[in-house]
Order: sequence, then C-alpha cells, then structure tokens
Amino acid sequence: MCGAHATVRGFLGEIVARAESDRHIIVDMEAGLEHLSRGTGRHVSRLVAVLEPYYRSMETARNVATLASELGISDVVVVANKVRDEGDRTAIADFCRAHAMQLVGEVPFDSGLAVVERSGGAPIDAAPGSPAVQAVIALASRLSQPAVTA
Amino acid sequence: MSRSVASTYPLIRMRIAIAGKGGTGKTTIAGTLARVLARGSREVLAIDADSNPNLASVLGIPPSKAQEIVGLPRSLMQRITSEDGTTKAVFSADPEDVLRKFGVVGPDGVRLMVMGKVGHGGAG
Repeated sequence: MCGAHATVRGFLGEIVARAESDRHIIVDMEAGLEHLSRGTGRHVSRLVAVLEPYYRSMETARNVATLASELGISDVVVVANKVRDEGDRTAIADFCRAHAMQLVGEVPFDSGLAVVERSGGAPIDAAPGSPAVQAVIALASRLSQPAVTA
Repeated sequence: MSRSVASTYPLIRMRIAIAGKGGTGKTTIAGTLARVLARGSREVLAIDADSNPNLASVLGIPPSKAQEIVGLPRSLMQRITSEDGTTKAVFSADPEDVLRKFGVVGPDGVRLMVMGKVGHGGAG
C-alpha cells in the first residue's frame, strides 16, 4: 500500500462527500495501472481513458477501462489523442467497437503543441487557437453532458 | 471567445479521472480541460496524482510557483483501531483546510493540489 496514493484517495473521499463542495474535480492519474488498482477511482463519477492510435496504448486503455468498471465506475469513456489521419481514426474506432468502449472525443496530432510543451507553457495560453486546444474545448462541452453520447 | 462557449455548459458537477499510458498526452488533456471548465460557472479543483507530476505547467502555473507546491503529506492519514481490533487509515483533516493549505491557484482560478512523493525505495 502506497501512502501517497492512499492520502490522495482519503482526501478525495472527504471532499466529494461534502455537499457544499460543488467544484468540478479533475484527477490526473498515475500513468500506469497501479494507481487505479489501489482504488482512487472510487470517488470519481467518470473515467476518461486517453489513448493513442497504437496497439500498446489502446491495450492499456482497455485494461484501465476494465479495472475502472471493476471498481464500480460505470461511466468509462475514451478520448483518442494525437490522431493524424483517417487510418488512425479507423483503427481507434474499430478497437473501441470491438471492446465495447465508448469513444467520445478526438484530439488531433498537433505539432504546435509539442513546441509549447517543450517550453513549459500552457497550451491554452500559448496556442489557444490550435486544433488540439480547440478539440479539448469541444471535449469539455461533451463531457459536461450527464450522459455522454459519441 | 472560449469563455462564452464554456459559460453555456450545463451545471452538472464533474468528478473526472483521466488515465492512460504514459506519453499519451493525458496530462495535456487533463490540464487544458481544467482550464476550459474553469471559465464556466464552477470552480475547478485539479489533482495531480501522477508520481511524476507535471500538471502545473500545463495549467500555466509558472515554474517558480510550481516549485513551491507541497504535496499532500501522509500525516493527514491516521491509523485508527476499531472495536474489533482491526486498524485502518483514515483521512483525518478538514478537506477544505487542506485545500487552503496545500492548494495553489493558477490561471482561470484553477486550484491545483499535488500528491505527495511516492515512497518506493530508491525512487528519486
């Protein structure tokens, strides 16, 4: 049992239990799966699995989705990132369909973003009009719906 | 521009966890999402629960300020023993106090809290 993860989980449990706390909460999870398996996800209502159009990344997202549903998070959705072309789009759509995963958004590959991130800035400040940032704005709107539809 | 778009969002309260293989851009999406949502009608709390934390920079918090962020200390969890003799760790502080003490406010008012250092041996 890792103390750092347990502390975040404890904090999350307390803050979401408070009715007066009406904030949106966004948790950037551990890259691997270990974090999820320790149960942090119990206190969230929706899990967004981000994947890239290559096999290992899609497999990881599938494992994350499975773990999440085992933890009782019924609302698991997928966002495809760094999508370059129709081939990427088809591969991801096929994978999601084959594993009954709900794809709710797509963020295009954006070389401009890589430049911003190398310099350590916020994409939304440095490149607000970039295709990737615009796609996240559209995603925010979609995730704001109680039930997400693709 | 995006502010007017965001303000039209329904008022549901979101509690979203973002996961994915390292390098997929999950932090970029998490941080940008937090900023976009914060332009709507609700405050946003962003929690960096990655043992390699870099959500601060995506949120636009300058490095000088990001360096000063203190991760959640484990001492907030306290071991209690129940009547049947079993012990368990419970979060033992007021979360709003914790947020005031350890949270950092970034652009668009996004509040960021960072997980404490993960303590597996030799990690550094």
